[in-house]
Order: sequence, then structure tokens, then C-alpha cells
Amino acid sequence: MVKTLLIGLKDLKLMFRDRAALTFMLLAPFLLTIGMGFVTGRFSGGSSGLSDIPVIIVNLDNDQLGDALTEAFSSEELADLMEPTASSDPEAARRFIDEDQAAAAVIIPEGFTRSILPAAGTTFDQNYMEPEPVQIEVYASPSRPTSAGVVKAVVDEFVSQIEEGRTNGMTTMMGLGSSGLLDLQDMEGEARRLFENIEQAETTVISLKKNQAGAQAVEFDILAYMAPGMALMFLMYTVSYGGRSILAERSQGTLPRLLVSPTSMSQVLGGKVLGIFFMGVAQIGILILASTVFFGVKWGDTAGLLLLILAAVFGATGWGMLITALSRTPAQVANIGAAIMLIFGILGGSFVNLEQMPAAIRMFSRITPNAWGLDGFTTLALGGTLLNLVEPIGALLVMGAMLFGIAVLLFHRQGMIQK
Amino acid sequence: MKKIFAITWKDAIIRFTSAWELLFFIGLPIVFTFLLAGGTPSGNEDPRISLLLVDEAKTAISRQIIAELENSTAVRPEVLSRAEAQGRFDDRRADAIFFIPSGIDIESLQSGSAEVELLQQPNNINATVAERAVLTAIRRVSSSVSAAQNAVKQRETRQPFTSEAERQAFFESSLQMAQSILENAPERVTVIEGLVEDDYDPRANSSAGQLITWVFVPLFGISALFAYERQQGTLQRLLTTPASKATFLFGTIFGQVLMALLQMLLLVGFGIAAMKLNWGREPLALFVILLTSALAAAAFGTTMGTFIKTEAQANGLSIMFGMVFAMMGGCWYPLELFPSAVQNAVRVLPTTWAMQGMLDLVLRGGGLQDVLPEAGVLLGFAAIFFSVGVWRFRYE
Repeated sequence: MVKTLLIGLKDLKLMFRDRAALTFMLLAPFLLTIGMGFVTGRFSGGSSGLSDIPVIIVNLDNDQLGDALTEAFSSEELADLMEPTASSDPEAARRFIDEDQAAAAVIIPEGFTRSILPAAGTTFDQNYMEPEPVQIEVYASPSRPTSAGVVKAVVDEFVSQIEEGRTNGMTTMMGLGSSGLLDLQDMEGEARRLFENIEQAETTVISLKKNQAGAQAVEFDILAYMAPGMALMFLMYTVSYGGRSILAERSQGTLPRLLVSPTSMSQVLGGKVLGIFFMGVAQIGILILASTVFFGVKWGDTAGLLLLILAAVFGATGWGMLITALSRTPAQVANIGAAIMLIFGILGGSFVNLEQMPAAIRMFSRITPNAWGLDGFTTLALGGTLLNLVEPIGALLVMGAMLFGIAVLLFHRQGMIQK
Repeated sequence: MKKIFAITWKDAIIRFTSAWELLFFIGLPIVFTFLLAGGTPSGNEDPRISLLLVDEAKTAISRQIIAELENSTAVRPEVLSRAEAQGRFDDRRADAIFFIPSGIDIESLQSGSAEVELLQQPNNINATVAERAVLTAIRRVSSSVSAAQNAVKQRETRQPFTSEAERQAFFESSLQMAQSILENAPERVTVIEGLVEDDYDPRANSSAGQLITWVFVPLFGISALFAYERQQGTLQRLLTTPASKATFLFGTIFGQVLMALLQMLLLVGFGIAAMKLNWGREPLALFVILLTSALAAAAFGTTMGTFIKTEAQANGLSIMFGMVFAMMGGCWYPLELFPSAVQNAVRVLPTTWAMQGMLDLVLRGGGLQDVLPEAGVLLGFAAIFFSVGVWRFRYE
């Protein structure tokens, strides 16, 4: 056992001396986590990195409602989200969007207000004609679909309020008119007053109760998902790096030297596996620690976190052993390892939410330690404890044991264990 | 020229000695493009966010809410049972669930006791969009009721009702009127997608982004080729032959750029054949942007080769730089999601300009003139990095 442990520690020490490997195992996931932090708005405090969306407002209406919409985009409430620029030329604004200089142009045509609110004193004029509806144009950039969607949502909400005010005013006026409580002379002024005072009227009779999963237990930190996502992806590189050293010992002739000492092949192999396991634990541990120190990520239940890390590394080590057993040269291990790292990264949810994937791929993702590990980390981030981690930890342990068993069989067939 | 082709051929043999290289050359890029594009529906599919909806009320009001959500431009309601919806939500296969509990009817609206519930995944932008859509829908359904209630209130201030029955009758006729006004309300907003000659297809982002990622990584890996020759001692041997240093450098870089162009054309072909993306609209513009992107990446790889000592170092660093540059350059997630300061900062990366140029072509339907600014910047990158790389190159 001591010999096995010594071989494992020797391999761990060697890893820390390999600057190139260390850069790849630690710096790459750390930098990608920072990038993910920007995208998800973790560093700017939102639910995405969206802020200061450039939008061009062309107010050709220059009347009550057009001015109100222009002001809404410059309001305090939208100050962080929107960066509006005024323009008087719709063609120039559209050209700006085509050149991808802004997310969308909101063009409020002339007569927009008048199409909803007739000029005072004209409604009951004999010559008055119902105006044609005038539409606000949202000219959206196809390369900024999310930002353009937000601009459209702001315009939709504004128009919805207008419609509400119009319905409110017209319903009341018609009701009072049909009851003979309002004469034609008063009707227009009263309708205008009701429309303009819509904010004071009772507007919402259905209330919405919002509930965020796990929000009561702990504030969810998106980096508690993203950082382990990247760490688990690069863990697959680490386990194949460790596996490479088994074959390298053989090709470089250091394995026969080891075997002339009173050490059996099983002890050497066991030490190598232990070394891979130590490397994985060190890598994930350092990345978790760095995320805590630099980004203040809170990981939840400590016992659960430790066991989850050990189980995830065990599952990944199983894959590392299988890759090694199936390869003939260290270069082959490196190639397969890099490919598996990337495939498991995307299948396991390190890049995109698995929900976006077809059902068959979601099912297939269960063969990766990444998917199970991320399940566990998310559970912890949502306030779960060790008890809630039974399924992912169990799956990772079973995965590791099965893959390890297959690898041992393959090593046995290659004669590596009997020597 | 013969020598240059000989060096190119030698590098191709070294690179493709292992069949695994084919996996990285074409297999994985296609898998990644397919999987990442799988999350973004094509122009023919419903692009709206799925919103799970549990209707336990089954009343006229709940049906109105569902109808409003079906008309939403942002979400697509999927009516399920509570257990089914909760199961999908717990498996994180849903961003939000909207519950309409039993008892949501006109009476509950009148009494002000109507409450619906929205369960959202935390820190999820789709859940936030779903919330806006739900608020708009319930607001629209509520507005007819609140308009009728306001009409009742206004009527009462002028002339009190003689009985509860009269009050209720007035409310019901006002409600009918309000619903009819809302139903007949004209569309007041029109959305036009900017300059796109064909239907807008968001999968173009995945196609262009993955193309850049998977081509830039091996081009940065030119540094590994130099390190390999140096480590093996074959560089010194090569330089004893009547091949000049310039021929060696040019041959190596030319070969890798040629292979990168072949790889890009295969991926463009996949985009056209499998994803029906219009990459081939302007072949000359496409060639210009592909070539300048490849040159910029190859130049960066050459510069890397001057300070990297071993092949292992070069392999690790080229993957790391390739992935980080791709992510920060908007190849994985649209740049619009980054804070504006970061959007400005990443203009120093060649991936940002390459992505911009390719989107000009495949997404915005631009031509040669539209990609010239990006091509110019990429050539600038190439000039700077090639100069540094050639100047600092160690031939020993």
C-alpha cells in the first residue's frame, strides 16, 4: 500500500513540475469561467450580460405618445439596460442597424398619437373620420436577437399600456353614455381624462406569485454551475494525461526498471491510478478554491461538496483508465483524451444548457461524469445537502467502478497485470 | 516553389500520421456545429421559448390567458399536468412553469382574489422573458375586467345602482364591451428583421463560430510544428539543405493555411448541405474573409512558436488560446451578451473580426464591400504577428 501511495504521490509531484500541463489544466478552465461569468451577467449583477443596449429612437410623431415612448427608453428604470440615441432620419437609422451599429431602431411614425387620441374637439365633429391605425416599426438587427427582443418587449409593454388606457376610457364612456349619464359634449374630455389617468385606475385583477426554485434556501450563483462545468471538462484532460504516463513508462523503458525493484505490476498500476485520482482531486480542488477566493462563489454543504468532488474524479478516472487500456501509445491517449474532453464537455452541459439538446442526446449525456457532476453541483448551489446528492454520487461511483473493471480486464488481456 | 510544396506535403504527413487527426479536422467540428445549432431552431421552426403551463382552473378566464400566451411573440405555452410539468422542471428541462390554479374565474377576478403562480429557474434569462410574457398575458385578460370594474365605479360616483342585480348587469355589459374593444384593437407594432436577404436563421452563428474555433486552434498549433522540428533536431538538418530559412518558414505556414482553407471549405459545405445556410451567396467575399482569417490565425501561431519550447507546451497553449479567443470573440455566445466594456476590449482579438466578417456574409447577406473592413483588420493582425514571428524566430 505504501508503494502504491508513493507512486501516486510521485506522479502528482511530476504534474506540478509540468508547467505546460498545469497551464492547460488550471489556467484554461479559469479563463473560460471568467468568460462565462461575463456572458451570464455574473460580474454585472443581471441574469445575462446584457446592458447598455444601443437603440435608435426616431420620433416622427413628436406628440404626446411618441414623446412618452421616447422618454420611456431614457427613463431611470431602463438606464442600465438601454443606451438610446435620437435620430430624425428613419433611413439612416435602418442603415445603422444593417451595419450592426445598434440592436434595433424604434421608428414612431408621424400621426401615431393622433391614430389613438384624436385632437381635442374633433371627435364629435361632423367631418371627423376614424384614423387609420399607425404602427410603430421595430427594425431589429438579426445578429443581436436577444437585445432586439428586449427592445421589442419594452415597446410591446408601452403599447399594451396604451391599449389598456384606451379600453378603459372607451368602456366607461360607452357605459355611461348608454345609461344617459354623460352627454356628448362631456364625453370626449372625460375619455381623455380616463385615458391619461390610467395609472391611477385599478389595472391588474390577477396577481402573479413568483417563485424561484431553491431561492428561499440559498441565492443561486450561476458561477457555481459554470466553474465546475469548465473544471469537469478539463478534468477529462487530466485523467488522460495521467493515463499517458502509464504508457510512457513502458515506452521510455522506466517500467521494466520499476519492475526489477520488489514492486509488482499491480502495485505499479494501482499507484498510477492513485496518481491520476490525486491529480484530478488537486485540479478540481484548486479551481473550486480559486472560484471561492476570486469570485466569492459559495458552494453549499461542505461534506456534500467534498464527496461530490471525490466521486466525480473517481468517475472520470475510470474513463481515463479505459482510454489508456484501449490505447497503444501515449500520443494515442492524448488524442483520444482531448477528443473525449471536448465531446463530454458539450454533452455534459459545460457549454450549453442540456435542455436545448434533443431527448436522445440528453439521455446519452448520462454516460459522462460531467452531466452527473454538474447535477450535483447545481443541487448544492440550490441549497441541497449530502442527502440530495445520493443519485449523482451513486451514479459516478458506479460509473467509475464499471469502467475501472473493464480497464483491468483489458490490462489483464494485454498481460500488464500478470507481469 | 517545389521546395515549398515538399515542406507542405511533409507537414501534412506529420499532421495526419494518426487517423485521430481527422476527428479534429472534420469530425468534431461537425459534431459541435450540429449540437450547438440544435439548440437554435431553424427559421421554419417555432423560435419561441417553451413555457410549461398547468391549467387546473379550466374556465373561460384560464382559456383566455392561454389564448393570449399562444399569441405571444416570446413564449410558446405547452399545457401539461402538474406532475409532468414539475418533473420536467426538476430535471431542469424547463425554464419556468406557469400554474393557473382552480378557482380562477370571473368571480375571483371581481373579488380580487385571483392569483396565479410562476415557478422560475434561478438566474435564467428565458425564465425572465417568460415572466414578462405571463405578465403581459394576465394584464391583457385582466384589463377587460378592470375596465369593466372602473366603468362600474365611475357609474356609481354619478348614480348609485338600485340593486346588486343592476350592478352585476352593468358590469357584465361593460365586460363584454371591453372584450370586444380589445379583440378589435389593431396591431400597433410591426417588427422587421434588418438586412437579411433570406429568412433569418440563427444557426448561422453556430456554423460560423464553430468554423472559426476549429480552424484557429490548429493554426495556433503551427507553434507545435516548429517546436517539434526543433525538439527532434530536424530543423537543423533541414537548414543544412539548400532550402533557405524563408523557404522553410513560408512552406510551413503556407501548408497550414492551405489545410485550414480546405477545412473551412468542408465546414462551409456542411453548412450549405446540412443546415441550408446561404454561405455561397458571394463566393469572392467568402474567399477573402476565409483567407484573411486563416492568415491572421497562422501569424499568431508563428509568433507563439517563437517563445514556446516544447511540442506539449504548444499543443496545450494553442487549444487554450483557441478556446478562450473563440469564446471572447463571440464564436460561442453572441457578443451582445457581453458587457459593453468587454465588447470593446475583445476587438483586439482576431476571432472577433473573423466572426464579424462571416456573420456579415452568412447572416446579414453582405457582399465583398461589407467584409473589406474586417478583412483589412485581419490582414493587419497577420502583418504584425508575422513580422514579430519572423523577427524573433529561433532557427537553431
